[in-house]
Amino acid sequence: MDIFFQLLVNGLLLGGVYAIISLGLTLIFGVVRVVNFAHGEFLMVGMYLVYLMSIHLGVHPYVALVPVVIILFALGAFMQKVVIEPLLDAGEEIQIFATVGVSILLMNLALVVFGADVFRAHVTVGTGSLAVGPLSLVTGQIFTFVVAIILAILLHLFMHRTYLGRALRAVAQHRYAAMLMGVNVKSVYVVAFGLGTAFVGVAAGLLSPQYPVFPTVGTYFVLTAFVIVVLGGMGNLYGAVAGSLIIGVVDTMAGYYISPDLKEVVYFGVFLLILILRPSGLFGLGTD
Amino acid sequence: MKYRKLVFALAASVLATTATAATVKIGALYPFSGGLALLGQESFRGLELAVNERNAAGGINGDKIEIVKVDAVDPNQAVSGAKQLVADKVAAIFGSYASGLAYAASPVAELAGVPYFELGATAHKITTRGYKYLFRSNPNTETFGDAVVSALDKTIAPGMGLDKKDVRIGIIHEDGPYGTDVAATEEKRAKALGYTVVQKLPYSAKSVDLSSLILRLKGDKANVVLQTSYQNDTVLYFRQAKEANFNPTVVIGAGGGYSLVDTAKAVGSDINGVFNLDFPQISINPKGAPGLEKFLAEYKSTYNGTPQSGHSLANYVGAKAFLDAMAKAGSLDKDKIRDAVLAYQVPVGQTANGWGFKFDKDGQNVASSLYLMQWQDGDLKTIAPKDLSQAQPVFKK
Repeated sequence: MDIFFQLLVNGLLLGGVYAIISLGLTLIFGVVRVVNFAHGEFLMVGMYLVYLMSIHLGVHPYVALVPVVIILFALGAFMQKVVIEPLLDAGEEIQIFATVGVSILLMNLALVVFGADVFRAHVTVGTGSLAVGPLSLVTGQIFTFVVAIILAILLHLFMHRTYLGRALRAVAQHRYAAMLMGVNVKSVYVVAFGLGTAFVGVAAGLLSPQYPVFPTVGTYFVLTAFVIVVLGGMGNLYGAVAGSLIIGVVDTMAGYYISPDLKEVVYFGVFLLILILRPSGLFGLGTD
Repeated sequence: MKYRKLVFALAASVLATTATAATVKIGALYPFSGGLALLGQESFRGLELAVNERNAAGGINGDKIEIVKVDAVDPNQAVSGAKQLVADKVAAIFGSYASGLAYAASPVAELAGVPYFELGATAHKITTRGYKYLFRSNPNTETFGDAVVSALDKTIAPGMGLDKKDVRIGIIHEDGPYGTDVAATEEKRAKALGYTVVQKLPYSAKSVDLSSLILRLKGDKANVVLQTSYQNDTVLYFRQAKEANFNPTVVIGAGGGYSLVDTAKAVGSDINGVFNLDFPQISINPKGAPGLEKFLAEYKSTYNGTPQSGHSLANYVGAKAFLDAMAKAGSLDKDKIRDAVLAYQVPVGQTANGWGFKFDKDGQNVASSLYLMQWQDGDLKTIAPKDLSQAQPVFKK
């Protein structure tokens, strides 16, 4: 029974990691209606920045997180303004190709600048474990989970209690109607994209004590993030959180009770089942 | 496609008519760009140094060797690259570092009757297809699995004071051909020697979480872990094993991530005491490897640095042997080359990395071997064979 609870805890904490990345992705999709295939590469960029700061400035990744979030917000806003905005009226496929292009560019740029090796910032805070009864929890993962919940709550408050948040939701619901109501849609898109990548910046800081960085690290997380976003309902924030927790738990349970190499088979199977029963994802259509 | 062939035919004929009197063209099929580029480039350097050395000594029977480089980022490109080289009328193709590339490109060479000399890829299945003109100088994954278990049996378990009946082996591996092949042989050999294998668990090299796998190892009380992995999964395993309080008595890697300094740095001090089997590293004792110091000096003067791994050395030693065999063949006829290679023999301990040469009918060099190493103080030290070792194993009980 101990093992089951340990697996459950591991799964939920793993879900916390995915939640932050998925929140950013679903926000971008929900508001800007663009499938951002470069999302994982922004995570990679964030992790490299955190690594460089921790090596050259001696700051802990959790501290380096703050400037990285700001830089990534700016990068996301920049990408929206320069890459996506000119293509807003083109077909969706064109926008997708543009984000794939950015993804390839960033991955290979990292390969050129940093090489293919793995780099890890060695820190003591965030890597220790906490014993709670018979269970063993990693402090860094607990912290990530807590931050994920806080971010989800903050995002909810932002979306429902501030003008900008309401404007984002309006644009997500109906772009032209929002324009008619006086919302500057282009600015809203820039904010949404920037916010989405800023979330990935938070994830980068929180993941750095745990995972090494290398040019393709983004691809390890982003596929699962896409699954989670579709599972939870694209654009739905609660869906992203719920989906992350479900996938995290299915991942660890399947890894133990079935086989580590069949984990993906199981969670993709669960994913397919849920989509067959509820095609628009767990929490319904696009908006929250 | 037709246009491309026409261009190549034209280029080849131009080259043929304008080439200097006596050159032998050989193809170099490696990943020079993309994700495998780091060690692909490193591997190629071994070939290049061997060719330079041979040319300085007169080439192959008086003919200078010219290398035609082709980039093979993935198996598709490897196939088109091999076709390109065949059309270019190279005398032989040397390559390829990665098993996927070698496996895809070699049929092209075989069909065209161009000898293919593999200097680094390890998948066993590359040389089990009954090809006549495919030869490999380095050990394959079958040898890897055997070597790991033999090291455990002969050196590590006795050194750690572990009795065979107390050993509980957990085999974990990445689920690609590299990991699967090595793990299969490890399991077979371990069982044949009478060891208990409690778990054999494959996982995706792209995993971000191995905690369930570790819980299974822990639950089955595995005290010896044999891992076959790349860099990221090695780092992940060590970190998550520590987090789960899983401390097996012995951990043995089979090359891949276990041989790279950057992996060790990313893992941290937990890497010390871990064993590894892999191609000879450049840090082996030069007494057992005549020519090693010459190789290192040539590497330094040509590339202004030191080799990043044992790949360039392995490619150098293999290429030297094959070029030697080509010279002994006295002709570029594929069957004469085949006969010369199959007759080519060098005793162990006479090459720059200590490998000998003796080819079986599948073209596999059975006199090449893997050396036992251990991470000590963040450094990968060779423990065995004796003439090549530069440190004693440390058995932390």
